[in-house]
Amino acid sequence: MSTSTDAHHAHGHADDGGVHVHVSSVPFYIAVFLGLLVLTGMTVGQSYVDLGKLNIVIVVLIATMKASLVVTFFMHLRWDNKFNALIFISTIFFIGIFFAYTLHDTDRRGELDPDQNVKVWQKNGERAPGGMEE
Amino acid sequence: MSTDVVTPEPAAGGAHGAGHGVGHHGPKWLAHHFETPTQQFDAAKLGMWAFLAQELLFFSGLFVAYGVYRNWYPEMFKAAAHQLNKEMGATNTVVLLFSSLTIALAVRSAQVGNRKLTGRLILTTIACACMFLVIKFFEYKHKFEGGLLPGRFFHPHAEHLVHGAPALPENTGTFFGIYFMMTGVHGVHVLIGIGVLVWIWIRNNRGDFSKEYFTPVDIVALYWHLVDLVWIYLFPLLYLI
Repeated sequence: MSTSTDAHHAHGHADDGGVHVHVSSVPFYIAVFLGLLVLTGMTVGQSYVDLGKLNIVIVVLIATMKASLVVTFFMHLRWDNKFNALIFISTIFFIGIFFAYTLHDTDRRGELDPDQNVKVWQKNGERAPGGMEE
Repeated sequence: MSTDVVTPEPAAGGAHGAGHGVGHHGPKWLAHHFETPTQQFDAAKLGMWAFLAQELLFFSGLFVAYGVYRNWYPEMFKAAAHQLNKEMGATNTVVLLFSSLTIALAVRSAQVGNRKLTGRLILTTIACACMFLVIKFFEYKHKFEGGLLPGRFFHPHAEHLVHGAPALPENTGTFFGIYFMMTGVHGVHVLIGIGVLVWIWIRNNRGDFSKEYFTPVDIVALYWHLVDLVWIYLFPLLYLI
């Protein structure tokens, strides 16, 4: 659909100083929108099937596919200055760090054992790391 | 055929200079501290992307809170999500996705200099934004009637709850705290979005934009897409557990 665009874009910014932008066609935008609708249908359909722990993985995967379509084509990152894409990708990277470090902590605190007043692992009753004691 | 490239006239001088501002001062929309329209356009986009990065980092705090509490209380989240209306959530998703399409097309028609169509597409986007808020209002109304409120305000009324749904644990107020914060902050973004869309609609009517200068339309569209982007994650994470 957009095969010839790179050739045009390869000119980059001519030195006349005017703004040169890539213009996608109307059918192309509508195709992206239809793709988004299909993915929405998939995620709603999936919600009726319980896949246990896999649920959240699929949900986030489909949402990320939708987000990628919006960012790449509706928000023009595909044809934009690469530095803007770098800003976006590094944002996602730092959000990833935020998630990983926080959940790494909060998911490993164990449950409070009221008899001992310490945090223990539910599965084996052993002391969980961290906490306020000592 | 499916794609074409707009290469507007050079801003300064040239054979067509007469219609586009005069001499090396450039067109009237070119701020004096920029050398060229390209420099001004790139600076505007860079600034907007830095702002969008901040928006994403700001929202990520709410998403992390969601992640922490969902991991701590998975069953409570599952039970609570049954009280949300999937159909209304899905409708709002389609409404927002459609509005993203219309504003993307508005930018395109601004790029090719079709002022009338740009105006119509911006109006359609505004209509979708309003529709989103109306649907959201009815959802909130139902939550208030059912006593499905954040934290200590959580006092569910059995007669207003979804029939056949799992019983709600004591701490379900936590879920509704997260639900109202996430959708509420998103809703505020939709409201602000309507404001800036009206602003570019007025400027478009005034004839501020042309093939050579459509930066504000582009920037506002980027903001609107971000609102859509956040909802793309909110919908399945809150409604489809």
